[in-house]
Amino acid sequence: MELAILVLTLLVLLAIGTPVAFALLGASMAAFIAMDIPLIVVFQRVAAGMSVFTLMAIPFFIFAGDLMYRSGIAQRLVEVAEAMFGRSRGGLGQVAVGASTLFGAVSGSAIASASAMGSTLMPLMKEKGYDGDYAVNVTVTAAIVGLLIPPSHNMIIYAASTGTGVSIGDLFLAGIIPGVLTAALLMFVAWIVAVKRGYPRGSFPGWRAFVKAFALAIPGLMAAVIIMGGILSGVFTATESSAIAVIYTILVSTLVYRSLGWSKFAEAAIQSVKITAMVLLIIGAATAFGYALAILETPTQLANLITTATDNPIIILLIINIMLLLLGTFMDMSPLIVITTPILLPVVQEIGMDPVHFGIVMMLNLGIGLVTPPVGSVLFVGAAVGKVPVETAVKTIWPFYGALIAALLVITYVPAISLWLPGLFN
Amino acid sequence: MIEQLSKLTHTAADLLLKAAGVGLVVMTAIVGWQVFGRYVLNSSPSWSEQASLTLMIWYVCFAAAAGVREGFHIRIVALESAAPPSVARGMRIASNLVVAICGVGMLVWGGGLVERTWEHVIPSLGLPRGLAYLGMPIAGLLIFLFSLERVLEEVRGVAMTDEEDPRWS
Repeated sequence: MELAILVLTLLVLLAIGTPVAFALLGASMAAFIAMDIPLIVVFQRVAAGMSVFTLMAIPFFIFAGDLMYRSGIAQRLVEVAEAMFGRSRGGLGQVAVGASTLFGAVSGSAIASASAMGSTLMPLMKEKGYDGDYAVNVTVTAAIVGLLIPPSHNMIIYAASTGTGVSIGDLFLAGIIPGVLTAALLMFVAWIVAVKRGYPRGSFPGWRAFVKAFALAIPGLMAAVIIMGGILSGVFTATESSAIAVIYTILVSTLVYRSLGWSKFAEAAIQSVKITAMVLLIIGAATAFGYALAILETPTQLANLITTATDNPIIILLIINIMLLLLGTFMDMSPLIVITTPILLPVVQEIGMDPVHFGIVMMLNLGIGLVTPPVGSVLFVGAAVGKVPVETAVKTIWPFYGALIAALLVITYVPAISLWLPGLFN
Repeated sequence: MIEQLSKLTHTAADLLLKAAGVGLVVMTAIVGWQVFGRYVLNSSPSWSEQASLTLMIWYVCFAAAAGVREGFHIRIVALESAAPPSVARGMRIASNLVVAICGVGMLVWGGGLVERTWEHVIPSLGLPRGLAYLGMPIAGLLIFLFSLERVLEEVRGVAMTDEEDPRWS
């Protein structure tokens, strides 16, 4: 009964358009009243959910990504990708995937990637005769790669949600190969669709141009080296490395690229606190919601349900993936990480899955939810940037979903793809 | 009268966001200082982690309150945009009332939390734990006022449209 109140209130509030954070908070309050637990507990959970040291990396990664976008570092990465992948048939599709992968290495946000890559590449694609739906499809699905390529602030939310201290360094390392694999599959699909539609072949600009583009992008790409190097060597904590990434980006874009003025800096700071506030309020509210679920013993019941249905690990993982994909279509990524991690992690650990591996599966799975309707923030941003109606884009996006699902299955069932790299460092 | 109120709350939201932006910059500086202290001065400041976390909770509360006024919190608009205008208006009023209730909750029980934790002292800062959470009831009050104002706007039919900027996640 109380569970029905909790879940139904959430669904009704989401449906009428209540902001996600307040829908979670409202549903938690309703359930606590029904359970006759003092409401102060709700707000104590909200406060506790936000007061986590690890989460301090989130505003920094968002800030660094936004600064890179505004100071033109994203543009430089596109130029590198263009020199690398531009010559194949439908080359700009490959460029979009390659550039998103590179941008993923300096920024932690799929939406920032979709808007940065979309606004740079989509006009170019339209000019060369590519269709708008293709431009949107390839850009938004490629943005998901950035969730796997470190740094990724969703991995930080996951690490904080496990409660067992999964190492952020391990998660970051574990995401690299799955990220590259997903990018490769997307490039393959982008190429097939481009051949079918007869998109033009680009030309190789020559090695000189390639070296030049790469050299110009090096100061920007160094941010990735600083973040990963700092964390892996133990010189910085994840939070420190993210703050250093901000300071580094400010220095590079004012001193080297000379493209960051006061107004852009202020805009970036304000935009970043807006996003941070949204994400952290949702994390706080989702913590209270997850606590209500825990009091109602939903995690145990759900775990029992899954494990009594089958003891076959392959099927258990399939069930979990399908469940997360369905939830991901109408819920956003961060609340789902906070709510489902404590529920599902014990189940998968029972069948011997490594928490780091599960984290990577979850990133990609919930990432797919960001590009599926009815609620897919990355899809919507991409469609808005490309000025293509979401319905039009979705009609032809299926091959790209196919690539993402194929990547998800391979990454789910072959643990070594995720765990090999962190194992090498430990 | 209503127009002046609307101007006032927009200015307030704008100031809150600017203060929050300054908070983020200061937080960057504190964590940067922590690294500088450890590697250059050979003494890591003991207060920096707690101070930056406290600062973050404060500016998150500020910006979250401004987000209610400016309408940038992420939400599902699929049903609302499919509904006929009068129904859509009803949905917006209802959802703003829910936000107002949440604001009251943050004010009352968030305030209760501050009261209960006021005696706990954060060791490295020497400040009450409740101070870190004080942003919550303040934001709650602002969220309550901002969402009531949006309801008022809907009722009078002068509602602003939400800011188109879902660039997050």
